[in-house]
Amino acid sequence: MKTIYKNYFKKNDSLNPVLEALKHIPIFNNLYNKELKEVAKLVHERVYKTNEYIFKKMAPAEGMYAILKGKVKINDPDSGTIFASLERNDFFGELALLDEEPRSASAIATCPSILIGFFRTDLLTLIKKSPELGNKILFNLSRVLGERLRKTNQELLKSN
Amino acid sequence: MDSIQKIYKLLVLVIIGTLAWSILPFLASIIGMLIFSFLFATIFLPSVDRAERYLKSRAIGVFLILSSTLAIIIFFLGTFASSIGSQIKLFTQRIQNDDFETNLESLSTKIEDSLPFFLGNLIPEGDRLILIVKNNLISFFQNILSLLGSAGGFIFISLMVLIFTIILLVEYHEFKRTLVRLIPNKYLEVGLRMIYNIEQQISKYLRGQILAASSVAILSILGLFILNQFGANITLILFIGIIAGLANLIPMVGPFFGMIPAILIALMNNIGNDAALFHKIFGTIPSPFFILDIILMFIIVQQIDNNFITPILVGESIGLHPMAVMIVLLIGGTLIGPIGMLFAIPAAGVIKVIIGEIIFISKNSHLL
Repeated sequence: MKTIYKNYFKKNDSLNPVLEALKHIPIFNNLYNKELKEVAKLVHERVYKTNEYIFKKMAPAEGMYAILKGKVKINDPDSGTIFASLERNDFFGELALLDEEPRSASAIATCPSILIGFFRTDLLTLIKKSPELGNKILFNLSRVLGERLRKTNQELLKSN
Repeated sequence: MDSIQKIYKLLVLVIIGTLAWSILPFLASIIGMLIFSFLFATIFLPSVDRAERYLKSRAIGVFLILSSTLAIIIFFLGTFASSIGSQIKLFTQRIQNDDFETNLESLSTKIEDSLPFFLGNLIPEGDRLILIVKNNLISFFQNILSLLGSAGGFIFISLMVLIFTIILLVEYHEFKRTLVRLIPNKYLEVGLRMIYNIEQQISKYLRGQILAASSVAILSILGLFILNQFGANITLILFIGIIAGLANLIPMVGPFFGMIPAILIALMNNIGNDAALFHKIFGTIPSPFFILDIILMFIIVQQIDNNFITPILVGESIGLHPMAVMIVLLIGGTLIGPIGMLFAIPAAGVIKVIIGEIIFISKNSHLL
């Protein structure tokens, strides 16, 4: 009886790759399973081919992406500098959740990839729907950005 | 080869266009119902989202909000129907009365006397006037009966709109996600921005309009109440006010429709009343049956609404030039009638957003 219930009725969340990926993103830290499910309902799963642009430098920015499967390269097409090579459970573009500035670099899928997109409009919906959850995400987002700023400061100090 | 391909493409487009054009009349009612449902869903969406937060169930939230709204509407319509029914009954009794004929006859002679001679000739003789009024009233009530006959279709459409609205409200975010799934990767972020802007445009406009309509309704009720203090004898002021508020949803021409019930009821209630017939506004301008008073009151309400309330509540929600608003209204009215006028402005707002995004895409195609 228990097996029947487990197999047919109880949804096994650990099998949901989107939910698993969300758990690894620092922006969604300290979120209850129920809250994560609410976020999972809003995010968008996208499939990219090899060498397909996720976004180009200076393009309008609407949100962040997390890698569910595949690899993504972040580069500056003008100088040819590669800023990062990202893999499964990595995330990028989170700054766009807060400001409306254009993208500062390009992102290209280096192999067939599946990404999840979480956009500013989704965050705004979430803030309206459940302000508590929205606040948690905003707080996490500020923490991530603060960490980035501290790291940049340290690197600047080192280079000086 | 290239040109042949182009011709083929053009042919396919023409065929699809012709097919769509020929199918459209059959689908028009369904599309109309879907548009109505979408607009209702947009109105209720914020409250449903809020209810979901407290009730932890979206379906229960939708049920509670829609059922309470429906209960209010049914209560309003029920009370309105019974009040207007008794009003008509009273009036028909007065028409059948002999008094009515003598009243009407004396009315025509009084109007003739009070008007300059060249205008007085335009007023028909007493007997003819009675015949004209009676015939017109009979055809008016026959029209009401035929309207009731088509109520069956209206109930079916309302039911369908209600069902669509429920589905849209429960699954709104899911539908939106499905729509986003259809956008190619290249246009994903621009598409998302466009959907968000359209949503904002419509909901801002609708909420502003509803608030403005409520304020017009309250001000009209207040104005009619004040007129009654001066002996206007207007009944059903609550309903007249609400109808004026609802009519206000149709820009430009709506406010004029809003005056009609008040004028009709003032006429119905005051025929045979000499004081009302010779009433003068501010003691100088003749205003038989308080008609000028009513028109003036509605104009004042409109001015308060246009200059103080709407700018604050609706703001420049659509951002269209007044000239463009008038053209858009004329197009909407010519295409679909009064309903077209109701939807013309938000539709123009949506088209404006879409055109803006298309221009942006064409200018920045190298970035996408």
